[in-house]
Amino acid sequence: MAGAKRYDVIVIGGGHNGLVTAAYLARAKKSVLVLEKRPRVGGAAVTEEIFPGFKFSMFSYVVSLLRPEIIRDLDLPRHGLHILPLESTVTPMENGDYLAAWSDHDETRRELYRHSPRDAEAYDEYGRLMHFMAQAVKPILSMVPPDPTSFAPGDLAALLKLGRHFRGLGAERLHALVKLMTMSSADFLDEWFETDVLKATKSASGIIGTFLGPRSPGTAYVLLHHYMGELDGVFRAWGFAKGGTGAVSEAIASAARGFGAEIRCDAGVSKVLVKGGKATGVVLENGDELAAGTVVSSLDPRRSFLQLLESSDLPDEFVADIKRFKFRGSSGKVNIALDSLPVFTCMPDGGPGGRLHRGAVSISPSLEYVERAYDEAKYGEFSRRPYMDIVFPSMIDPGMAPPGKHVMSIFVQYAPYHLNGGWTDAKREAFGDAVVDTVEGFAPGFKSKILHRQVITPLDIERITGLSEGNIFAGELALHQLFFLRPAAGWAKFATPVRGYYQAGSGTHPGGGIMGASGRLAAMRILKDGT
Amino acid sequence: MSYDAIVIGAGANGLVTAHYLARAGKRVVVVEQHAAADLSADIGWVPPAVIRDLRLTQLRLEQPDPWLTVPLPDGGTLELSRDIAKSAEAIRRISPADAAKWPEFSARMHTLAGVLERLYLAPPPDIETRDPRELARIGGLGLYVRRLGKQTVIDLARILPMSIAELLDDWFEHDALKGALGALGVWHVKQGPRAGGTAFNFLHHHVGSPVGVFRPLRSNITNALADLKAVEIRRGNRATVLASNGKASGVVLEKTGETILAPLVISSADPRSTLEPVAIELDPEFAWAVRNIKARGVVARGTLTLDRAPSYHNLCIAPSLDYLERAYDDAKYGQDSAVPYVEVQRTDGNRLELHVQYIGTKGHAELPARVARALNVRPDQLQLQPAEQSLYHGEITLDQILFMRPVPGWSRYRTPIEGLYLCGSGTHPGGGIPGGAGRNAAREIV
Repeated sequence: MAGAKRYDVIVIGGGHNGLVTAAYLARAKKSVLVLEKRPRVGGAAVTEEIFPGFKFSMFSYVVSLLRPEIIRDLDLPRHGLHILPLESTVTPMENGDYLAAWSDHDETRRELYRHSPRDAEAYDEYGRLMHFMAQAVKPILSMVPPDPTSFAPGDLAALLKLGRHFRGLGAERLHALVKLMTMSSADFLDEWFETDVLKATKSASGIIGTFLGPRSPGTAYVLLHHYMGELDGVFRAWGFAKGGTGAVSEAIASAARGFGAEIRCDAGVSKVLVKGGKATGVVLENGDELAAGTVVSSLDPRRSFLQLLESSDLPDEFVADIKRFKFRGSSGKVNIALDSLPVFTCMPDGGPGGRLHRGAVSISPSLEYVERAYDEAKYGEFSRRPYMDIVFPSMIDPGMAPPGKHVMSIFVQYAPYHLNGGWTDAKREAFGDAVVDTVEGFAPGFKSKILHRQVITPLDIERITGLSEGNIFAGELALHQLFFLRPAAGWAKFATPVRGYYQAGSGTHPGGGIMGASGRLAAMRILKDGT
Repeated sequence: MSYDAIVIGAGANGLVTAHYLARAGKRVVVVEQHAAADLSADIGWVPPAVIRDLRLTQLRLEQPDPWLTVPLPDGGTLELSRDIAKSAEAIRRISPADAAKWPEFSARMHTLAGVLERLYLAPPPDIETRDPRELARIGGLGLYVRRLGKQTVIDLARILPMSIAELLDDWFEHDALKGALGALGVWHVKQGPRAGGTAFNFLHHHVGSPVGVFRPLRSNITNALADLKAVEIRRGNRATVLASNGKASGVVLEKTGETILAPLVISSADPRSTLEPVAIELDPEFAWAVRNIKARGVVARGTLTLDRAPSYHNLCIAPSLDYLERAYDDAKYGQDSAVPYVEVQRTDGNRLELHVQYIGTKGHAELPARVARALNVRPDQLQLQPAEQSLYHGEITLDQILFMRPVPGWSRYRTPIEGLYLCGSGTHPGGGIPGGAGRNAAREIV
């Protein structure tokens, strides 16, 4: 299958960011080839029929942050993207009660009032502040990070603009932003609320994908993410793609193909070819060589630089920085095929219209519960009683399971990649048992309804998707790995030390979630540089 | 007798403020709640300007050498000295790789602490300002940092938000060295070494120390100041601020009920207890911010009595980062550390002072036994004073420094009450820099 054809651009990796880059470049009339190692596109955003008749969003399972400009530019709804809202979150408590956040604001407020009138009062003001802060931060997501060490006029101007943007927020909000960037979610929420289960559930959104606990500084920032999707009015904060997350990838792939991009699956890349400090093409795992004027890697920084290149292609300092870039996968996933829906003690009838199962169930009964789950992971064990985010996609998208049956997706934290003694098949099953046993505690009889289960550890995530150490964000979203430091100082603008070689994955700014912003910004950069 | 200014608290910051005001011609009285002067050493860098301006000829600065002795698992010790080569030689015995990195690590940290030093000698930059002079000062600061080179800019951005554990893991491999250095990163914060911002706390406590010395200076500054005659000190009576109609008018002494009037009241006590009695004068936003100051006490200080003088100057029991982290885990859930981090500091008077971390909030009955076990002494040889409120009047965390200290937007030592100022370690630059806040505050007032 040696192709003599020379492409303008080869994109390594057919995850959502790689596909977004390809689509934007193809839209600009470049000849583009996407190379995906797996039999299907999507990377960690894939839908697979793991058990006959039961389809799962195997890894990433909710869509919230996909940039509206991408949906618009690539006309994704025409390519089959359809988001179904995820309406509510119910947190079962250890005492048999629950805390619910419903889609109706007034109802949520009444529910909160039941737990604490003071918190119900604070809730609106907190919501207003967070909405505003999210809006203030959003422009940064679509911005190429300036380099504060450079004296180039472009960088200075961008820094100045950034400074003005922040000063424009006004003192009070600027202070709130500093707090959000530096505090732990527990400390931040302590300033606002007294209800422990509320703080636990909110702070849980701050720890997803990180190797941090709710009391670790740096987790407050992620509280903002929850408020970002909601603002555009395009769709609600959290939702499912009809057909699973794989449908998002398929829609972007379809758009890319529509613009003329070629996508090849079962085509893993083993090496990027560099001649005279410039990328000239790639070598496939089967030995074929493909030539291109520009090569883009949407893999994570470790793979993009330490695996696909020779270290002699790169400056030593840069190699040291990439080696230091932290991954530390911390989460696992359990996908379950169900004979029937589990009954939760806290709401046996599932609420009017069975709405409990139409939303998320958060296993985060108290701050101490979540913090203790983290403590175990710190010392190299998986959490015996983990934090979990549970959804039942078949309740919203019946096509995901056979009639009358259901699929259940459990996001689990913490499961450290570096487990004491390493992950084995037995450890994987023990981890799965811990998850199932914990759910059983809140929903007795749950176990007897399980038809099949798939347990995914961070090691499995790495093996299947290629994400180093199973980090779902292609590199930790820690303060010192964000913005102009993602993935390394001086190289946060999608270019790399190798001419003609670019990076477009979540390991670049802004990274994280099914956002596509990295892929889009990388494409813009490549077009600006000219190929 | 009438006064121009009343200073609450006769600690280093209160006395420094008082003396600067006296120098400016004001009649000042200092009121102190404790009857006797505190004998324990002041810990931390004393800004040279304070020594110069107040002519502190009686000041003794101590930095023992070797500055740290660390017991090793095999029974030996690691001794860290002021001399970089000597420290490196000692480290080489446990890890040649770590020894090779010691000089560069020391130099890089010293450069970063130098940036903080510059920031600490003046009020924090006012990021909301439109005043051209302040803008020029901020610009000058930016320029100064960039002139230190690209590496320093990157280090500042990268290291300040980091955890001390990540920073040390970047550089070193040996647990004993990382534990001993990491301990300084968690001083007086209710955080473990894996918490973001503890690298900053490490640098904060390195300010003013020589290259390669990661324990703060000790001094007798409080006592040296108390010996100066220019200012009257009234001890043994707790003072409460008097204010009405948004204006401070003086203080009332708790025991005697006596009122002292003055148009200026400057408190070196912690911001929360200073402002609580006048909360009715404050707007709700400000009161909310004051209530939310994180000032959780985690340290027990105390003394140790031994039959004879020990062979060390400063002994550190924190054998690894995980040891520190586990000690913190207990405090997270309100308990004293089952196995605490302990440091013994010998002052020149052969007095042995203890720094113990962490303490919880649920009683400390077991603590002496636990500390005794860590030091291999009898519990009756220890005297411990657990402090459930931060001795720094506010933890040194990234959300509580510079223009965020003591509360966001009020970092210029003023309060919403006219004539009422703060000058204690709850204000910029914070605890561990005796006289730093006091000097900045006095200069703002004058």
